[in-house]
Amino acid sequence: MPPVHLVVRQLRVVEGELSDEALLAGMAVGERAAAVSFVRRYQRRVFGLAHSMTGDAGVAEDVAQEAMIRVWRHAPVFDPRRGSVASWVLTITRNLAIDALRLRRAVPTDPDDFAASALRSDEHNPEDAAHRGDARQTVRAALAVLPEEQRRAVVLAAVYGRTALEISEAEGIPLGTAKTRIRTALIRLRAAVEPSEGVGDER
Amino acid sequence: MSDDARETGCDAYRDDLAELALGVLTGRARAQALSHVESCPRCADDLEQLSRVADTVVQVAPEVEPPMGFEMRLFERMGVADPRRRPRRIRPSHWVPAAVAAAAAALALGLGLTLTSSPAPTAIAPVHHGQVISADFVENGAAVGRVAAGGGTRPWLSMMLADSTARGTVNCIVVTADGVTHHVGTFVAQKGYGAWIAPLHVDPTDIRTAEVVSPSGTVIATASLG
Repeated sequence: MPPVHLVVRQLRVVEGELSDEALLAGMAVGERAAAVSFVRRYQRRVFGLAHSMTGDAGVAEDVAQEAMIRVWRHAPVFDPRRGSVASWVLTITRNLAIDALRLRRAVPTDPDDFAASALRSDEHNPEDAAHRGDARQTVRAALAVLPEEQRRAVVLAAVYGRTALEISEAEGIPLGTAKTRIRTALIRLRAAVEPSEGVGDER
Repeated sequence: MSDDARETGCDAYRDDLAELALGVLTGRARAQALSHVESCPRCADDLEQLSRVADTVVQVAPEVEPPMGFEMRLFERMGVADPRRRPRRIRPSHWVPAAVAAAAAALALGLGLTLTSSPAPTAIAPVHHGQVISADFVENGAAVGRVAAGGGTRPWLSMMLADSTARGTVNCIVVTADGVTHHVGTFVAQKGYGAWIAPLHVDPTDIRTAEVVSPSGTVIATASLG
């Protein structure tokens, strides 16, 4: 087994080899190396989500900074039973972005633009993402083939936290239609991510 | 929808499950849906699957390089300013709460490590639970640091030294139950202080002792994990 040389002063961690959970645990015990690595691993995703939602680099930086600070402060209470680290970190970011938009009464990015930017995404290392079983590419592909109205509905709900009622009002459609679009879109995404579940559940 | 599902009333909640998974169901509808899910394993399973997918939708946003200086400003706020510019020695008084934080972190990670107060400098007995083990590094009868190792698919080992006699490059080794010594890695201790985390290539629960060893082979500090 090759020795792992890590210099405390330089605080280099073998990034990529440690799991998100391990880095989070390191952050929780005050390991600067873990905090630095965690930030470097996630900052593009956190800033990317904030920027995609707000469309404003300044607001996105505020949101991304605050999200990282919260992750750092709350690392000791992260509960893996409730989801992945990525999901936790990005949900924090999403909620902060929603708050920032409301506070500023700003117009959020159109869900079509959000979806379009996601579909154009060029990950730094998609091969690595695939190796890790990253479902993002699969979901992106599934989003791309959803009917536009369903894609808008699921993005408005999942990303912008809009309720079915809010979506029905914003889109000018009956509440039942909004609910159906949300449900159908999510079930189709599930069918893409988990093929064994099939589309037979779509009702 | 099967007859079976209709009989159990699942049909009434099919829209709500998706909205519940997306976190956008509110008020009475949310309460009723949650109540149904609690008593219906089929819908609970459905909700779990939908929630996983819903979480992924938030993650599809493209990665974007933050503005210049983002990282520096963030590290300043976190108090971990770029370590290459401003190395900071953590005083001995810092590592004891850090050890407690480690226990809290492990607990929060769902691995069930029991929180134990740290009456330094007396060594703390090793704590085992689930796939996490942790113990004090002891040097000349005094606790001088803490080691923790976590399991999972990619095991890791984290350690911290404070007020140790370790100087310069030292080795971290672990001895497993079969008596085999495993070299985990090499790091640099600055005036007795070192904080370090690395991948582990053995099952953490097999570890009996962890040692900090000088290049000449002298054991500087030992932690008993077994």
